[in-house]
Amino acid sequence: MDRLIGIETEYGIVVDGLSAADWVNESMAVVRGYSGSAVQGWNYRGEDARRDMRGFTVKSLNTNPDDAVFDTASRHPMSHEEERSDRILANGARFYNDHGHPEYATPECRGLFDLVAHDRAGERIVLDSALRRAASTSRGVTIYKNNTDFHGSSYGTHEGYLMRRSVETSTLISTLLPFFASRCVYAGAGKAGVENASGTDADRYQLSQRADFVAVEASVDTLHNRPLVNTRDEPHATPSKYRRLHVICGDANMSEVATALKVGSTALVLQLLEDGWTSPVKLRDPVRTARNISRDLSFKLAYEQDGGTSIRAIDMQRAYLTAAEQRFAGCDDETDWVLQEWRTVLDVLETDFTKLADRLDWVAKYLLLDEFRQEEGLPWNDAHIQSLDLAYHNIDRNEGLYYGLEEAGAMRRLVTDSRVDAAVSCPPSDTRAYLRGLIIKRFGSAVKRTGWNGILFHHNGEDLLFDMNPLVEANVRVLNEEFATAQTLDEVVNIIRRNGQSN
Amino acid sequence: MMISGEERRQAPVAPVSPVRKEGDGGGPSEPDVKRPDTSDLLKRMRRVDPDAARRYRQRSGQ
Repeated sequence: MDRLIGIETEYGIVVDGLSAADWVNESMAVVRGYSGSAVQGWNYRGEDARRDMRGFTVKSLNTNPDDAVFDTASRHPMSHEEERSDRILANGARFYNDHGHPEYATPECRGLFDLVAHDRAGERIVLDSALRRAASTSRGVTIYKNNTDFHGSSYGTHEGYLMRRSVETSTLISTLLPFFASRCVYAGAGKAGVENASGTDADRYQLSQRADFVAVEASVDTLHNRPLVNTRDEPHATPSKYRRLHVICGDANMSEVATALKVGSTALVLQLLEDGWTSPVKLRDPVRTARNISRDLSFKLAYEQDGGTSIRAIDMQRAYLTAAEQRFAGCDDETDWVLQEWRTVLDVLETDFTKLADRLDWVAKYLLLDEFRQEEGLPWNDAHIQSLDLAYHNIDRNEGLYYGLEEAGAMRRLVTDSRVDAAVSCPPSDTRAYLRGLIIKRFGSAVKRTGWNGILFHHNGEDLLFDMNPLVEANVRVLNEEFATAQTLDEVVNIIRRNGQSN
Repeated sequence: MMISGEERRQAPVAPVSPVRKEGDGGGPSEPDVKRPDTSDLLKRMRRVDPDAARRYRQRSGQ
């Protein structure tokens, strides 16, 4: 695999004695509690969330009208910058407040297992900051890595994939719709109950946390009327050459295998698209299919395609897997890991999904909750069951149920704890995040603003923009090694100028 | 800025991993689910407030 990938997670937050009206202030405080090396000030150069890859820009993005209930008149007006409270960390990550959620965006990674390590490092960083906030106020702070509050509000875990712009937008969307509709069979985090569906039997367990919140096939919106395929056009790279696929329909995974399989399979589908492959699966109603797949634990239901045929969720996934196997088997170790794990999981889902409890979140959680539910005679949408669901995602290692399973040796690991520890403070060595991290750690006082695609310095009386738009390919390693030798900011600036990356 | 002079004097940032490599846990394996020791897990489950989800409210995110 050879593309920039990343995960952005909006965490749920609870502070003892306070309510959702306080979550903006509390999320800001958690972010500001970060104690490691960091700089402030995000560089929004080239960012416009209203720009749609289909070739237009919307006037404004939809927001959820239900959130108005949380906006109290007593909250003092803040600038966007103050509210975001951005911290850009020495590991290349971004940590900030997004709509009342502490959000951790991993640095750009190139390796799948590097990304897993950085995603898990994010859990530790957010928890550490939350504990620091709790200690300063004597109010307990609990952080959840999930995507729903069980009352109709959802918050996202987004994936970012750099890809060639040469793939036609319409082809991209039509090939991704069946893939995203069915990806939850292995990537779902599991959910007790149903939201946003009046008249539906809510006494059920779902594969996906997010499926109830998908309303349309494709859209630039993210807060309301969410799409299966998000069409936001923010490449964070040279726009004429690249897109960044911004995936918002996925769940927050606790399991390392689920995270790696979710991102790895999606990256291979993008590789197929870049090779000119298009999906033979054409669903008649992808949005409704996505919801129905999430609610079918038998994996026997088939879904209508254009032309009148029908196809099961597992077979949708097999169509993508088979194409990827034919083209990419043997390319590299990570690709082979994804292909083998993908096939194993689909095969086992056909026979006995409980055998996947060591690697898929939705299965691990299902088994944990179902035994208790049956003993107590409770429906799936009972508050006690949903509280246990929530507790699965608690990132406190001493309280979270996922962590309890991990501690008991019940979950497969892909990265060691020492690798996660390293990712807390060190960026990946093979992406431009290394340059960002090094500058923040060693020359942070000169930095005015930092973004994914550039760093604005003040040096010798002038502002200098380090343009990182072109630095997205594997050859950035050479520049990284050159940067590592720089002892002074003068040397850094000289390297940047010599490489033609300053404006 | 939150950078201290001492931190700025540190050695170059060490790479997380010098080369891309397979996950530390090795390649995929056939599922082999053994029953883990769940005594601590049961204690954790008992500590969960049964009304936590009823009270849990979040703002919409992206």
